Amino acid sequence: MDSQMMTGNLAAAWGARLADVDYIPAFPITPQTEIVEALAKWCERGEVAATFVSMDSEHSMMTAAGAAEVTGARVFTATSSQGLLHAFEVLYSISGWRAPLVLVNVSRALAAPITLESDHNDVLAARDAGFLQIHAETCQEVLDSILMAYRIAEDERVMLPVIVNLDGFTLSFTREPVSLPDPDMVRRFLPPFRPSHLGFAASSPHALGVAVIGGTSYAYFRHQMHLAAQNALEVHREAADSFHALFGRRYDLVEGYRLEDADDVLVMTNAGASKGKAAVDAARAQGKRGGLLRLRVIRPWPAEAIREALRDRRAVAVLDQNLAPGQGGILYQEVAACLYHEARRPRALCSFIGGLGGQNLSEGEFQAIFEQTAEAGVAGRGLGPVLLYSAEEHREMTHLQMVATGNA
Amino acid sequence: MWQRETFKKIKQIPREEHVMPGTALCAGCGGLEALRLAAKVLGDHVVYVNAAGCFTMLAAYPYSSFKGSWLYTTMGSAPAGAQGIRDALDVLIAKRRLPKSEDLKVIVLGGDGSTYDMALSATSGAMNRQLDFYYICYDNEAYGNTGMQLSPATPYAARTATSPCSLQHPAATMQEKKDIFEIWRAHRPPYIATVAPRYPLDLEEKFARAATFTGPKMFLALAACPTGWLYDPGATPEVAKLAVETGLWPLKEAVNGVVTHTYIPKRKPVEAYLRLQGRFRHLFEPTVQTDAIRHIQERVDAYWQQAAQEQA
Amino acid sequence: MVAVRFHGRGGQGAKTASRILGTAAFLSGYVAQDSPIYGAERRGAPVAAFTRFSREPIRERGAITYPDVIVVADASLLDDATARVVDGMDDQTVLFVNSSLSTDALRAHLSLPEQMTVRDVTGIALQQLGQREAISALLGAVAARLVGLEWESVRLAITRELQDLAVTAPVIEKNLTVAKQCYDSSGPASLHKGRSQAISVAALHRPIYEPPTKGTARISAAGNSVLRETGGWRTFRPVLFADKCNGCWLCFAYCPDGVIAMNQEDRPVVDYAHCKGCQICVHECPTHALVAEREAEGGVAWTAK
Repeated sequence: MDSQMMTGNLAAAWGARLADVDYIPAFPITPQTEIVEALAKWCERGEVAATFVSMDSEHSMMTAAGAAEVTGARVFTATSSQGLLHAFEVLYSISGWRAPLVLVNVSRALAAPITLESDHNDVLAARDAGFLQIHAETCQEVLDSILMAYRIAEDERVMLPVIVNLDGFTLSFTREPVSLPDPDMVRRFLPPFRPSHLGFAASSPHALGVAVIGGTSYAYFRHQMHLAAQNALEVHREAADSFHALFGRRYDLVEGYRLEDADDVLVMTNAGASKGKAAVDAARAQGKRGGLLRLRVIRPWPAEAIREALRDRRAVAVLDQNLAPGQGGILYQEVAACLYHEARRPRALCSFIGGLGGQNLSEGEFQAIFEQTAEAGVAGRGLGPVLLYSAEEHREMTHLQMVATGNA
Repeated sequence: MWQRETFKKIKQIPREEHVMPGTALCAGCGGLEALRLAAKVLGDHVVYVNAAGCFTMLAAYPYSSFKGSWLYTTMGSAPAGAQGIRDALDVLIAKRRLPKSEDLKVIVLGGDGSTYDMALSATSGAMNRQLDFYYICYDNEAYGNTGMQLSPATPYAARTATSPCSLQHPAATMQEKKDIFEIWRAHRPPYIATVAPRYPLDLEEKFARAATFTGPKMFLALAACPTGWLYDPGATPEVAKLAVETGLWPLKEAVNGVVTHTYIPKRKPVEAYLRLQGRFRHLFEPTVQTDAIRHIQERVDAYWQQAAQEQA
Repeated sequence: MVAVRFHGRGGQGAKTASRILGTAAFLSGYVAQDSPIYGAERRGAPVAAFTRFSREPIRERGAITYPDVIVVADASLLDDATARVVDGMDDQTVLFVNSSLSTDALRAHLSLPEQMTVRDVTGIALQQLGQREAISALLGAVAARLVGLEWESVRLAITRELQDLAVTAPVIEKNLTVAKQCYDSSGPASLHKGRSQAISVAALHRPIYEPPTKGTARISAAGNSVLRETGGWRTFRPVLFADKCNGCWLCFAYCPDGVIAMNQEDRPVVDYAHCKGCQICVHECPTHALVAEREAEGGVAWTAK
């Protein structure tokens, strides 16, 4: 296995390439565009045996992706932010068709105001769309997660599409060493796509995506999607075992960092978790027993793994890089819900909102998070949502406002 | 002079049905009649890609009216669905995962709401990519499945649920019907045709001709609609006939952009057509709105005058 | 509370009838509620609508499971299992059926309740209004009479609801005249107040995962819509006088539902199980070999051919 420097975007493209996909409908959007540029080039050179098509919108792109998948092709596509939202209704169609394609989302904050850098409101908006979601921390994990995503999605016990998420800029344009799996071993890991319920052909006519009138049928099919997503917990474990045996890297539903004896635990997702881990190290250097839990699989929600990791802690802080206005952090709500029936739940559960639209998460802010969380744990009372905003950021913003209002 | 080559006699219409009965569509549906006749030429090795509209009910669990395949997509992206299916079939055949004998014709079904409005971008994209597919728009000149609201296909002076008559607008809508034929033609697909269910041989001939072209094959079918246009269901052929005979619905085709009218009507006064339908009743009761009727007549006259000039 | 359930075919006015009853009850000082079932219903397909009224606040919503009164706008619905006309009906239910058949004829093959009225409302509408489908005012009037509402509120309700549908004043007047006749032709029914259904704990099924071939909204039985018979949609049927037929194929060519086949002798054979009765074939037949005959409703008349 040779290792090479590549961006998260290129790693995503390599994931699609190694998965030997058949079809790639595309539409450009920053910061995802590099993925489809790489694939377009490879398809043109014959290095990927897939048809690449430039579509007229993400809505059309997702429709073409889903329609090709239900025809029997293995499909890959990618988008970001506004593009994901423009395609939103189609996500629900694709999961309802039980079309197991893989979509890479490069997280970018949503307009208005329009911006380019990352937060997770885009991908988390799709959390109820019937797609499974895997959120990656490193470029290597992006590539590996795409291979695992196809294996899990195409399993007859699941047959649901998957979103693999990576952060814009902090991962998409960031190069780091990535080990490319051997294509022959990938073929052993990922069997050919031969779905039993899909594939339009003259000899097997069928109607898909049909109307159902009345709640009896509708509820049945929706229940099936939920049960399929639940099955993915076990199918993910099998895929993780197999991936580990073949490639030596292990990915579980959640990843614990220095959790063994941790009093207080910070919960994060995606690339920002790397900085969270550094903050844990810094806290430990000061004699505080901090730890980090990175949520990797968001759908299905790994409730049992989260309970297991957070049981008996003094305090837990969920750092959401998203904001549901009028509610707070999206993941905080879900973590809180799954701890409700845990008798040995943490004494305090704190909510922090940070890193919106590429906003920096400073070491000092992490230190503040750990301090406030520890205090909450001692007091036995949670806090938040705390909107992280440094005094320095406030000064800068005040200046910008003066310019904008002509009072500079 | 345009002549039919394949379908010369009515008894050449294939006996076999491909859209099976038991549908939930209205009795007397002109759109269904157009689809039924089209399917007689298209056959069963097809996959219909449906946009939200009345035809959605043709495959409602657990019943399908098609001997071929069907995929319901969205209101705004059925042509993109056709792209995905066509491309997937091609790649699977090229990779020998699917025998060539399993290939399908890909056919988009969209109402005028989808076609003229929401799916216009997706349609433009598919035509621009020279996608090899059929597009059948069943045009009943309003958002029919939601109960007849104004669409860009609604003609001048038609009353709909969202274009009622009022003191300010005694003739109902002042909007002119969007010319989707010309919008399509600007993309230069190899084949475009208008059809009307009352002219079955003209319709069958056009589908047969379309089959000889690779690329987008675009059909605009008059879907006379008893429920929405407010006439007795038995009058569907009569209404469709008068649409053509008054010149309001020209039967034509465009081969690689070159337009030919496939039938030259003697052009009865438009009144004959308008009077049949409840959606135009306000033009005649309680008083006759001569200006509005004259306006419609003048637009038709101008169309055919220009057509004659272009022909010459 | 009084609960009235209307069954009709799309276009017959069951929904408007339920609104007329709702408005009439409201104008009579009751708390009232009315609603239709919206769905894939098309002109001719079975539809249902519901009216409730009470002196107390109404704590029910949606479909009426156990109606006090069932109004059937088209007797063929009694035989249409998909219409579910007899659901929740018991021997105390008051039933009204629009039919030209006798009560005994309708009872011949169906167990129907004691309090049952049959009137040929369509016949009255055809005769006096000149339309086969506009019977909402008449049904509303009959229903209002059965539940004991005064004519004055019914008259106002019909006027309001028909005005809402942009029906012109002269037509509303005609409707009122005929509706009054229908109202007067029946008497109030005896409604069993305070009837309560025993409620037992629902037996819950625990959903289990099934393979995607079953667990996806997907139909692999291509063309199986023939299993759904739409013959009951008709109020009129096309009937062939074979000696007049010139074998021109026009009826076959123009039939939207594809329910006319040409036989060896080039004569049309109508699939009455599916013919929706649009009458296009009758309109277009150049020799008048096809004529429209009113359906003999009730029983299995439309499949008897």
